[in-house]
Order: sequence, then structure tokens, then C-alpha cells
Amino acid sequence: MTATTVRSRAVSASPATGRRGMRPQKVLLTALLTVLAVLTAVVFILPALWMFLGSLRPGNQVIESVSPLGWHTLVPSSWTLDNYAALFGELRFGRSMANSLLVAFASVLLGLLISVPAAYALSVLRFRGREAVFAFLVVGFMIPFEAIAIPLAQFFTDWHLNNSYIGLILPGIGNGLAIFNLRQSFRGVPASLREAAFIDGASDLRIMMRIYVPLNVTTVINSALLIFLAQWSSYLWPLLLISNESTQVAPIAIARTFTDTQVNFGQMFGGTLLISVVPAVLLLFLQRFFARSIATSGEK
Amino acid sequence: MRKGSVAVQTHRSARTSSRRKNAVTALLFLAPALVAIGLLRVVPFLGAAWSTLYKRVGVGLLAEQKFAGLDNYVTLFSDPLFRGTLLRTVAFNLVINPVQIALAMAVAVLMTRTIPLRGLWRTAVFVPCTIPLVGSSIAWGVALRGDGPVNGILQALGLSSQPFFTSPQQALPSIILVASWVGIGYWMLFLIGGLNDVNAELYEAASMDGANSWRTFWSITLPSMRRPLLFVLVADTVANFVLFVPVQLLTNGGPQESTTLLMFDAYRRTYTYSQPNLGATSTLVLTVIMLAIVVVQFRLLKDEDSR
Repeated sequence: MTATTVRSRAVSASPATGRRGMRPQKVLLTALLTVLAVLTAVVFILPALWMFLGSLRPGNQVIESVSPLGWHTLVPSSWTLDNYAALFGELRFGRSMANSLLVAFASVLLGLLISVPAAYALSVLRFRGREAVFAFLVVGFMIPFEAIAIPLAQFFTDWHLNNSYIGLILPGIGNGLAIFNLRQSFRGVPASLREAAFIDGASDLRIMMRIYVPLNVTTVINSALLIFLAQWSSYLWPLLLISNESTQVAPIAIARTFTDTQVNFGQMFGGTLLISVVPAVLLLFLQRFFARSIATSGEK
Repeated sequence: MRKGSVAVQTHRSARTSSRRKNAVTALLFLAPALVAIGLLRVVPFLGAAWSTLYKRVGVGLLAEQKFAGLDNYVTLFSDPLFRGTLLRTVAFNLVINPVQIALAMAVAVLMTRTIPLRGLWRTAVFVPCTIPLVGSSIAWGVALRGDGPVNGILQALGLSSQPFFTSPQQALPSIILVASWVGIGYWMLFLIGGLNDVNAELYEAASMDGANSWRTFWSITLPSMRRPLLFVLVADTVANFVLFVPVQLLTNGGPQESTTLLMFDAYRRTYTYSQPNLGATSTLVLTVIMLAIVVVQFRLLKDEDSR
């Protein structure tokens, strides 16, 4: 059962390794695959690169540089940081970014605070109706929040939670996949550890914090990431809940500039880049935690 | 009473008391999650379900809610625009999800082959999935403009300019592009994880038997990947059924309703048309569909669980 966490990942999936002397056929195949991989990479990266470079040129040049099509369509002929200066200055994008960060981190904290004990109870404690509670929680939280966002927004307005951080944070704290993954992972801990701790007089709370959480730190991080990413990119909910600029989050702030009459593509691209940096950094460093989801783990 | 039975009795009562203690602890540990799901999911769902049975009569402050039975459902399902939206949403999902997962799988297989600088290419595919959907919408919203770079490239190749978001035929495919640019890399991550878990001995055996790459893919990789593939397919469907951002930001459901998906329909009825009861009815239809898909997804997870 612990295989999910301790399995060696050194195995390469490629069948084409192992033989030393490569036959010409194989060389050709590798060359072909490399070309294909490079082309795929270019298709995916080019729009991102175009956006990044577009944020470093005067806004009007983004479209002007299209004709004539050439090197300068992609690479600025004049470089500037004005777009970023405007974003952090008059557009107050820094504040929206700070709001987004606050909401996402608070959601992770609260989310773990409700998911970890729930997963512990559902994996370790024996009580009647456990499976039903488990299914109810996971299925309930797996229905995408968007599906009921509109009625919930009306309730939140009645409860005076609109235009508040609490209102932004609360819907993000329940994550079905996080609870599911945590429970799977907790079940891998041998029951004898808990029994031994009990004999030493430890409480369930202490056992959870001192044994289960440290032993499953990978899954805890994975759950934290799931919650963070969902909140960071959330769009519909703040659109429904927040009308006040000072509590607005970054995705909405950047979308507002898109629908403005005075469009500056350079600024928009800069803003997009800024909201992408946080998940990019997190995912690049925590990639291995993230890919360890239930879909990919399990015993053979 | 004999000694033995006392021992049995104390043992038994100790067991029941420990079970009771367990139940109390479980309740304490589960309470925050149960309260959260109650207030954030169940209550609004029931509230929405309840409000679908009512109609707003009158205008402004004098408006009152009157019980209307199933009128809202009748109104909605006899509205050809709503039926069109429902069909469009289903058709959209029947296209976008298989396409995204097939491409994600193809890229994942490519990126797990032994090729020079593999990590670099893999990162390049992965970069867009760190961009939130709103960012992808902005990027393609500009790139696919009439005077944007994509049309610039088409013209340079001697092809004619395309209308993309402004044409009823091309708007929905353009939205698929917006969602797929960030989606494919994301699902690829999960599939690469799955590919790395395929038993290496199977590949060795196939290679001993002289099977070529193509055959190995069909007879080993694909069958071993059945479960991860199904999982990402269902998860992708869950995500795309509520796709909202590019529709709201780029097309507003148009041109000629060609990009009106269910989620946007519920939003527009509630906020733009001020028909909250019909909006709630639309939401309820969406939620029921979602619930069905999620139950399938949960079953898939549970099977994984019992393996």
C-alpha cells in the first residue's frame, strides 16, 4: 500500500533504450521524433514567447509589427519596461496580485485544516457510515464549484460576504480530489504505528500531526497545490462576488483591462505574464508532487 | 458470575466504548469539512432547486416570488435557444475532450521517448499550462484578431485572412484552441506520470519479441494506460462542461449564439437578463449533468482504490 510513495521512479518508459550500437533505422527514428518534439515545443511556446516579448515593447507595436511580417513581429525593435511601470503604478495591479496571493494562501491553509482531519477520520477511524460520508464529501466537492457558483453568490450576498476576502476564500477550501488523495495516502500508514502511539497515551490529533502528516508530506503538498492553483486562476467567483476594486483579484483586474476602451496590449500581456509567474514557479519546483495524483499512482 | 464472563464483558464494553470514542473523534474531525460542504454546496444547491419552482411576478421592489410548479422547466425546454445551448454544450464536449486527451497522450508519448534535450521540449509544452485561462483568452483574443499575427502568417503563406472569433462557424473552434493551448500540457503532466509507471518488463519482453514501436504502443502502452486515460478524460470533461472564461471575455456567447455554452447561459440569464429563477433552472440542469459525470469519475477512482 505504501508503494505509491516509495516506488522508484528511475524506470524510463522508453523501449528504445538499452542497446548500445544503434542501427541506422533507429537513428532515423530518433531524428524524426526529435524534429516532431521540437515542432511541438515551438507551437506551444511561441504564443507565450510572443506575449512575453510583447509586454516589453510599446503597447501599440504589438499589432503594428504584424505587417510586414518579419523578425520584428516577435522581437521588439524598441524595448521598454513602461508596461510594467504602468501596471504597478496607475493600474494598481500590484494590489490585485497581493489580493490573489492572500486569497490563495489563506485557502490552502483553511483547506488543509478541514481536509487533513477529514481524511484522517475517513481512513483511520472505524465508525458506521464511513463509506457513505466519504462518497458524499468527495463527490460533493468534486462537482466543479462553477456549477453552483451563481446560486452561492446570491447566498453570499445575503450573508454580506460580497466584497470580502472571506467570501473569496471560503468556496476554495473544499477540494474533493485533495480529500480523496489524502485518504488514499493515509491508508498506506501501518495501523501498528497508531496503536503504539495510543499505548504511549497520544491523542488522535497528536497522532495525525506527528505521524500521518509527516509520513505523507508529498500528498499534503499535492493537495495544497490543487487548492492553490484552483483559487489562483478562479475567475467566475470573483466576477460574481466582488464589485469593489480594492478587494479585486488579479485575473479579473487583467480581464477588465481587456474590455477597456483604451486597450494597451503591452500592459495586458505584462499582466498575464505576472499572473502566470506564480503558478509557473510553484509547478516547476513542485512538479513531481503534482504528477503524483491518484490517476497515476497505485499498485501494479 | 464467573471470572471468565466478567472478563468478556469488560472486554466487550471496552470495545463499544472505544468504538463510541472513535465515533466522537470522527465527528469532531469531520465536522469542519461537513459544515463546509453543507454551507458551500448543499445549501446553495437546495436553494437553487427550490427557486426553480418559483417565478418572479411584478417589477422592481414590488416583485414577489410566486409558486409556479414546473413552469420554469417548461419555459426553458421549450425555448429553442436553450435546447440549442444544451446540444451545443454536449457536442462541444464530445469534440474538445477526446481531442485534448488524444493530443495530450500523443505529446506525452513523444516526450517520454529518448531524444536529445527532452527536458527542454517537455518544459516548452508545459509552460502554457501555468497560464490561467484568462491569460490564454487574452493571448488568443489578440493573436486571432483580424489584424493579428495569425492572420499575418496566413497572408504571408498566401492564404486568405480568417474571421475566427467573429464568425459563427469559427468562433467555437477558436475557443477550443484557447482552452487546449493551456489544457494539453496540463493533462500531459498526468499522462507522463502514468507512462512512467508502465511496467518496464513489459517493454523489455516486447523488445525481445522484436515488436516495433508502433506495435508496442498499441499492445502494451495503451492497455496499461487505460485507467489514467479514462481518469483524465472524465476530469477534463468536468472542467470543460463549466467552461466560461473565454466565452465571457471574448465572444459573449456570440456571434449568433454560436459560443453560448450552458455555464454562460446560466450566467447571462441570471445577471444580464435578470431572470434568476430561469438562471437557477439552467444551473440545476448543469449541476445534474455534472453530478452524473463526477459519479463516474468517483467510480473510476474507487476501482483504482480496490486494486
